[in-house]
Amino acid sequence: MNIFFDQTINGLVIGNIYALMAVGLALIFGTANLINFAHGSVYMAGAYVGWTCVTYFGFPLFLTFLVVMLFCALLGMLIERVGLRPLQNSARIAPLLATIGISFILDQLAQIIFSPQPLALPPLISTKRFSLGATSIGVLDILIASVSLISGALLYVFLRYTRMGWAIRATAQDRDAAQQMGVDVNRVNQVTFAIASALGGLSGMLVAMYFNVLTPTMGFQAGLKGFAAGLIGGLGNVPGAIIGSLLLGLIESYGVALLGSSYRNLFAFVILLVVLVLKPNGIFSKGRQLPPEPMTGTFIASSKPVQIPRSVLIGVSVLAFLLPIISNNYWLSVFTTALLYGILALSLTLVAGTAGLMSIGHAGLLAIGGYTSALLSLRLGLPFALALLLAACVTAILGMLLVMPAFRLRGHYVSIATIGIGEIVSLTILNWESLTGGPVGLMNIPPPSLFGFEFYSNRSLYWLSLVLLLGLALLQWQLVRSHIGRTLRAIREDEVAAQAYGINLNRYKGIAFAASGFIAGIAGVILTHSYTYINNETFNNTISVLALTMVILGGRGNIIGSILGAGLLIVIPELLRDVLGESFIVYRMLLYGLLLVLFVRWRPQGLLGTV
Amino acid sequence: MLRLQNIDTFYGPAQVHFGINLYVNPGEIVCLLGGNASGKSTTMKVILGLVKPKAGHVFFNDSEITGLPTHQIIKRGVGSVPEARRIFPGMTVQENILMGAYSRSDHKNVAEDFERVLSFFPRLRERLNQKGGTLSGGEQQMLAMARALMVRPKLICMDEPTMGLSPLWVDRVLELIHTINKSEGITIFMVEQSANQALQIAHRGYVIQNGHIVIEGTASDLLNSPRIQEAYLGATI
Ligand SMILES: Nc1ncnc2c1ncn2[C@@H]1O[C@H](COP(=O)(O)OP(=O)(O)O)[C@@H](O)[C@H]1O
Ligand SMILES: [Mg+2]
Repeated sequence: MNIFFDQTINGLVIGNIYALMAVGLALIFGTANLINFAHGSVYMAGAYVGWTCVTYFGFPLFLTFLVVMLFCALLGMLIERVGLRPLQNSARIAPLLATIGISFILDQLAQIIFSPQPLALPPLISTKRFSLGATSIGVLDILIASVSLISGALLYVFLRYTRMGWAIRATAQDRDAAQQMGVDVNRVNQVTFAIASALGGLSGMLVAMYFNVLTPTMGFQAGLKGFAAGLIGGLGNVPGAIIGSLLLGLIESYGVALLGSSYRNLFAFVILLVVLVLKPNGIFSKGRQLPPEPMTGTFIASSKPVQIPRSVLIGVSVLAFLLPIISNNYWLSVFTTALLYGILALSLTLVAGTAGLMSIGHAGLLAIGGYTSALLSLRLGLPFALALLLAACVTAILGMLLVMPAFRLRGHYVSIATIGIGEIVSLTILNWESLTGGPVGLMNIPPPSLFGFEFYSNRSLYWLSLVLLLGLALLQWQLVRSHIGRTLRAIREDEVAAQAYGINLNRYKGIAFAASGFIAGIAGVILTHSYTYINNETFNNTISVLALTMVILGGRGNIIGSILGAGLLIVIPELLRDVLGESFIVYRMLLYGLLLVLFVRWRPQGLLGTV
Repeated sequence: MLRLQNIDTFYGPAQVHFGINLYVNPGEIVCLLGGNASGKSTTMKVILGLVKPKAGHVFFNDSEITGLPTHQIIKRGVGSVPEARRIFPGMTVQENILMGAYSRSDHKNVAEDFERVLSFFPRLRERLNQKGGTLSGGEQQMLAMARALMVRPKLICMDEPTMGLSPLWVDRVLELIHTINKSEGITIFMVEQSANQALQIAHRGYVIQNGHIVIEGTASDLLNSPRIQEAYLGATI
């Protein structure tokens, strides 16, 4: 019984922290109609700014909070200025992609400045606990509760009684009408981002104090959780976000008490998916109707794809086959990586480009493929070719089944759902230790082999990857110019119209995800067997974002573009490393985020144009 | 008071306006008539700065407002009654009306204007604390007009104020527009599909077809013109 009360207190305290985060996301979703992916990174930034204030400058706590809020407010305004305002007239998915890029940049900056290692805070406040009948409550608990209560009250007064507060509420209800009342909606967005980010940063600092750990990647899952909390109460609804956060905090605490702390995040993401699919308007709403879709409409900037003559393609392929003759081993392994990422980008461009379903959990497919074939080889001793084929099929089927519940979602919601699915895959791998080895992973995975020939040397691995890439690219080319491809593009352009023509949407989305899963599964298998090692971190969400960047860079739906995108993003950093020295490698990820933001802004159709 | 000069407007590659010219004199009610998708609402959006024309100029009170952000145009004294009313559904009637005064800097006169505006719309007074979304269509239209009046506008732009209303409400709304124009001296530029009724209260009118102004004239000329009946037959079927 004591445990129950303790966990209730824990749950409410954590729920309070989530609320600070979720309220900001709700405000931004309300006024800007945007799921701000960078919000998690603001939260992370808040924690690191707080850490800096405390450890470097020795600021007292209150001043630290103020600095954190101020810094994050400015950061939020910057995000609005870069990620939202210039993109208001672009395809509606553009700001979402931009905030993903910004989030990537911020996370990488934190790694560069503070190192990827976790940091801890010195003791800041008394650890005294007050007895409360069956349970007890600590000073930190009280502090967290009061900070969020005070913030909540201030926010309420602001929204209710100030001119800007009125403007924010009006904009959230009807942006066009608010504009016609003389509201400067850009200013409203700016203020909303500032407030939301100040609260988000504060939330990050409080979390860092509560768990006493900071990592540069702490924001990604936290942002998704804040979103889950907001979704429970109904997106864009501030009181709903608070209730959702408290509920999420409680569920998590009870769940962790029952199953262990490595399950903590799993609850949030499972809830996220269930709510998204069953009650997308929040658990208090009636019916399953989707909330007003923020990001439909012209999805892909119309453009003429660059036509590349067949002779050039054949020529390049032949050259690629001859490359190992002149290349040294180091570059050969770089090129092999590029080829394998090319397969991944190929797979993603099918769903994100051709079918218009912006999946951001693609690394999950790599992991499924990799683990399946690793297990088939290690446990059952299956020959590689069979393991490869089976793993690709398993990935196709699982990839389709996992995303199937989300087929009725569109635009932004697809992205959120696929991120959630990706995280669930990775957390399942982490927790299913008997099968996957958990964080230790699987080792001594045999290298790829065929009829007794082992693809052990860099050369043979390169050729194998090249053959697979070209073969899969040809297959996909056939697929997208068949009636299936045409149907997928029709669904992408106008789902309602496609349905009116009698097209079975689920069937075609299923085909797209199955084909995409098959291809990604192959990439996962080869990568895993060439590493000879895999654990839950091998294919993490950075890889999903990287794949997305490749696809955007090449032009969504563009097969050659996706391969080019992969090639450039893998090879260019290596070239720069050659030129700028080893230290450049830490900036590689930064470059990816920057490219994503720049392309979304200046060349949304990518290098070769969308198809 | 309002003048559009050679306006060309595009949505992406699709051209909506082809050299639109029109003007509205102070104190007038001017009607822009036209069938579906002829570019009426886009004309409103160009005036209000919600859509930027590719070529041409918009003048308000002899100063150019082309390309200004919407909130600055409103601040100069342009009220808007948007298409489909677009009241704030989650705000109370009172809050909705006061939102209309958002752009004003003379805060002390707002309370006084609030009373005066309500005197035009007694029905709204009874519902001040009700959420805007719970009102009937006709009441919402009144709310949208009340909101626009709170701007203390010199000009009100109305996009299809009678759309979707019952005949009784159509008469009421047109009556109110007439009153506002007469007693407050506010210039009105309105877009309508139902020509005959709107022309009863208007001074002048324009007919737009596929982005071209095809007819212009006084309200009585237009009412008696065989061409307009013809144009409308073509447009409404
Ligand atoms: N936001 C928009 N994007 C693209 N096309 C639009 C947009 N708004 C209107 N259009 C198109 O412009 C044309 C004129 O529209 P509109 O001015 O709303 O017509 P009306 O108000 O006369 O019915 C129509 O063909 C419509 O489809
Ligand atoms: Mg219209």
